[in-house]
Amino acid sequence: MLEIKNLHVEVEGEGTEILKGVNLTINKGEIHAIMGPNGSGKSTLAKIVAGHPEYEVTKGDIIYNGESILELDPDERSHAGLFLAFQYPVEVPGVTNNTLLRESYNTIAASRGREELDPLEFDDYIREKLELVDMKADFLERSVNTGFSGGEKKRNEIFQMAVLEPALALLDETDSGLDIDALRIVADGINKLHHEENSVVLITHYQRLLNYIIPDHVHVMIGGKVVKSGGKELALELEEKGYDWLESLATVNGEAK
Amino acid sequence: MSETKALESMIGEEYKYGFTTDVEYEDFPSGINEDIVRLISEKKNEPEWMTEFRLKAYRAWTEMEEPSWFNATYEKPKFDKLQYYSAPKNKPKLNSLDEVDPKIRETYEKLGIPLEEQKMLAGVAVDAVFDSVSIFTTFKEKLAEAGVIFCSISEAIQDHPELVKKYMGSVVPARDNFYAALNSAVFSDGSFCYVPKDTICPMELSTYFRINNMNSGQFERTLIIAEENSHVSYLEGCTAPMYDENQLHAAVVELIAMDNAEIKYSTIQNWYSGNEDGKGGIFNFVTKRGACRGDNSKISWTQLETGSAVTLKYPSVILQGDNSVGEFYSVAVTNKRQQADTGTKMIHLGKNTKSTIISKGISAGKSDNSYRGEVKISKKADNARNYSQCDSMLIGQTCGAHTFPYIESANPTGKVEHEATTSRVGEDQIFYLQQRGLSEDDAISLIVNGFCKEVLKELPMEFAVEANKLLGIKLEGSVG
Amino acid sequence: MAHPTRIEPSILHKLAKHLPENGSARWTNVRQKSMQQLNSTQFPHKKIEEWRFTDLRPISRTEFTHINDAGTYKASDIEKYFIPESDRSRLVFINGRYNETYSSIGGLGKGVTVGNLSRFPDDENVLEYLNNLVNYDDVFTLFNGLMFEDGAYIHLKEGAKAEAPIQVLNLYTGSEKPFIANPRMLVVAEEDSDVTIIEDHIGLEENSYMTIPVSEVKVKQRAHIHHVRIQRDNENAFHISRPIAYVEKNSEYHSYTITLGAKLTRNEPRVVQEDEEVDFTLDGLVLIDGEQVADTHSVMDHRFSHANSHQLHKVVVNGKAHSIFNGKIFVRRDAQKIDSFQENRNLLLSYDGLVNAKPQLEIFADDVLCSHGATVGQLDPEEVFYLQSRGMTEEKAKEVLTYAFALETIENVKVDSVHKLLIDEVYRYTKANSNPKVTA
Repeated sequence: MLEIKNLHVEVEGEGTEILKGVNLTINKGEIHAIMGPNGSGKSTLAKIVAGHPEYEVTKGDIIYNGESILELDPDERSHAGLFLAFQYPVEVPGVTNNTLLRESYNTIAASRGREELDPLEFDDYIREKLELVDMKADFLERSVNTGFSGGEKKRNEIFQMAVLEPALALLDETDSGLDIDALRIVADGINKLHHEENSVVLITHYQRLLNYIIPDHVHVMIGGKVVKSGGKELALELEEKGYDWLESLATVNGEAK
Repeated sequence: MSETKALESMIGEEYKYGFTTDVEYEDFPSGINEDIVRLISEKKNEPEWMTEFRLKAYRAWTEMEEPSWFNATYEKPKFDKLQYYSAPKNKPKLNSLDEVDPKIRETYEKLGIPLEEQKMLAGVAVDAVFDSVSIFTTFKEKLAEAGVIFCSISEAIQDHPELVKKYMGSVVPARDNFYAALNSAVFSDGSFCYVPKDTICPMELSTYFRINNMNSGQFERTLIIAEENSHVSYLEGCTAPMYDENQLHAAVVELIAMDNAEIKYSTIQNWYSGNEDGKGGIFNFVTKRGACRGDNSKISWTQLETGSAVTLKYPSVILQGDNSVGEFYSVAVTNKRQQADTGTKMIHLGKNTKSTIISKGISAGKSDNSYRGEVKISKKADNARNYSQCDSMLIGQTCGAHTFPYIESANPTGKVEHEATTSRVGEDQIFYLQQRGLSEDDAISLIVNGFCKEVLKELPMEFAVEANKLLGIKLEGSVG
Repeated sequence: MAHPTRIEPSILHKLAKHLPENGSARWTNVRQKSMQQLNSTQFPHKKIEEWRFTDLRPISRTEFTHINDAGTYKASDIEKYFIPESDRSRLVFINGRYNETYSSIGGLGKGVTVGNLSRFPDDENVLEYLNNLVNYDDVFTLFNGLMFEDGAYIHLKEGAKAEAPIQVLNLYTGSEKPFIANPRMLVVAEEDSDVTIIEDHIGLEENSYMTIPVSEVKVKQRAHIHHVRIQRDNENAFHISRPIAYVEKNSEYHSYTITLGAKLTRNEPRVVQEDEEVDFTLDGLVLIDGEQVADTHSVMDHRFSHANSHQLHKVVVNGKAHSIFNGKIFVRRDAQKIDSFQENRNLLLSYDGLVNAKPQLEIFADDVLCSHGATVGQLDPEEVFYLQSRGMTEEKAKEVLTYAFALETIENVKVDSVHKLLIDEVYRYTKANSNPKVTA
């Protein structure tokens, strides 16, 4: 489904290389976890897959469903089924959740040749999804992320994922800033949304999310590279040992991080 | 930057109302002097007191200087070249719609304002003003049943002289300012509305202004009186053809609210704004003011200002009655070389009076957009409250946003709060919305719409659709 | 205007014919330029937007004399205003004239020059900057340019750090006839230098006079200036001040103006950005009562990208006093990434007082974050009630709250004795002006 090949990425116009040759393959129906210390490049990886204009791909490719998506705008990638749950969800004052989601849903539906929903149909549709993340209906009428608590913002991202039903969801530190109850709600939501036709990439600093969502593969990023991949047991090992023991791998495989 | 282009194309959409209507006009000499003023009055068959009112105003005007304190530069209108009265050649007083010049009817059709009652939005009565004269007023009979008088000001002068005499000039005196004085001298027509005691006006009232003639100034006069315990909502729309010459629009609007009365006045102003190089367009110099005369009365101004080459406009409220409320909600969009200097005045005289000001300015192109507002708490206005919020958004590097609030307080129990911000459409916002599938254009539309939302929601439903079309924005949540 | 307006000769225009005896030979260029401009510059009046709320007739009606003698005073009158930190870094001017006896300038270490301008007629910095940073469209500045006799000169060499704060003490003596003093100050802080300046204006007696202090400050790259201005003129005095600062790349200029005295004050602080990456503050505190009028018209002029600027202007008005504030924030075309915040808080304590506020944003660049807030009101009745419920009298509660309100603006004054002095002044004002009669 997604294949990242030797990906090198710089900050647009600055020349600082952040990703230094990332390789990663994600198949349909899989859950992957990408872990790593701060500044390892894991959030950048998520943003670049979604097409953030701040970064520039200098080498390598991102293949999605067999085709390179490097030339696609962020909205075109979204139409193709890519979803990014933001680490820091953006506030859009005056625009309600309901409005945004109906616009999004219908735009994506149109691009896939599906039928658009009118406001009433959409209302029915969206209310089911609210339950997934245990949110009240008045939430729909609030401006997108404006004045939300950290936890509400993160739940809102998962709610949006539920509504838009992406084929590949990249969840960037969705667990950070959540208390234990909220974490469980979010994790349950993700588990319910996941099925054999879609894939989920969890980007996280901590292992605790993985107590609730069991990944098929775990990757460790350090210094802009994937330095180790393994099964779910790798996460536990990291929890125990930290990242230090892997730091050397980052330098052995090439230039210093 | 592409986001800039997207928004510019959105709000700079070609002007759709720039056509002209080919009708024959009555002959009327250009220029201004006492004879011209008399002639206007004579044409309209006005009583002597009205002629006197005009002459006094004219004399005051000749002694006044054209103001220049605002943040706009333009070539002053040539007052001696203007035509101060312009009426299509046809029967001045019409008894039925069939008598309206078909070309003019067609004009209103094109503008989306059909004059046939059955075709109209139910619940909106229209007074259609073409150049200087009121062409037709719809739903008159239905309104009369409720006791509401809604007609052109010319008719009111004939049929309800006592009301006009009592109230005209009582809120905006003839010598109030340069353009109000000129209007008082030469006003040709406009709308009149009187809502009697204990009456809720059964429908929205609206005036649609159309400037057609190239050389004419438009000087309409609106007077709305809401008696005790009454309520009325009034809408105003404006368009004009595209000419290379500037045209002057100098209106005066007076609102009077008695005890417990409420007047809601909404404007969608879309006069021709001139071309890319600033050639042509309307000079929109209007004086709008409401007086909350009675206790617990309320006057609310909502405006969406998108057109005109130059706009100088400050719809104001004088809060005389105790516990009276004044509101001002405004969205002003400028593009190309437009200049808008607009805002409000809230003058607190009564006790426990309250005012709210929400102003949203969006500047693009090479335009300048200024908010200018005054809040005054007089010595006797105990416990008066004002809250003002003025936000500006700039699109691109060649426009300007200005905020000039004037606050004056002479009462220690009064409270004034003013906040203003200037910002841009954030790149992170655009990326976020694009990630959710929206195109860049739609993302910007949505953000701008969100920015203006507090104001747009104040527009009557019937106008909201047009307002959003005008902004080029898909409005969310609009059920009907 | 199509036709030139005729210049009505004002009291300043009339007095301008009598050049000062002292120092008239110096600064010939400055005087010539000022004279030319003055002759074509109108004395302001209320029809000019900038002067809409401020009545200058009390000035026009005063028969000022051009005679400016040294006046009489006791040493103890003067010494009590010395701040201990500036024991060896103090300049004293009496009626605008330098006083060597009370000045003390030995203790500032390497690279710091402090003295009276007359001693540096040929200094390259004086030649380059004096009168070249000011605004030429202002009658008062021009009058000062024509008439000033001497002034303070502070120069810091590259990398120099002043070891002690420099006190510039301006005193005004008693006199039979009202007179005009023209204090002047030039500060040039070269690259990486650092200095704190305490500028003080004090009327020794209760006579009428007008002071027109003009100061020019040049903050070069990476230099820091901390500038505290205290205005304690007497209640018959007119104080018209014109401080302007030009800030270069990576420099910082922080100014705090405390207005306590004078019958009429017009303060026009201005900061002009000359390059990117600057940080500046233009804070003010105004405490007035009686029939005082205090007017602040400030300008923060952002001309390049990346500036942080901040203005907190707090005002307390009692009696029949009148406060005026106009704070302009300009962001010029291409000045991107400006973060500018202005806050004007006014506390109106009496029915006879008046507050005019006009915060003003003029923005010509799109990638900026600029905001301002202004409030006028009384103390929060909830807060007063809260303190009362804790046992305070209403009077005491108001006193405490007013004190707290005013204190915020002087928190950043970093010279201990000055900070303490200002706290005392705030305390004295609030004690005298807590008025329990006004309630919501």
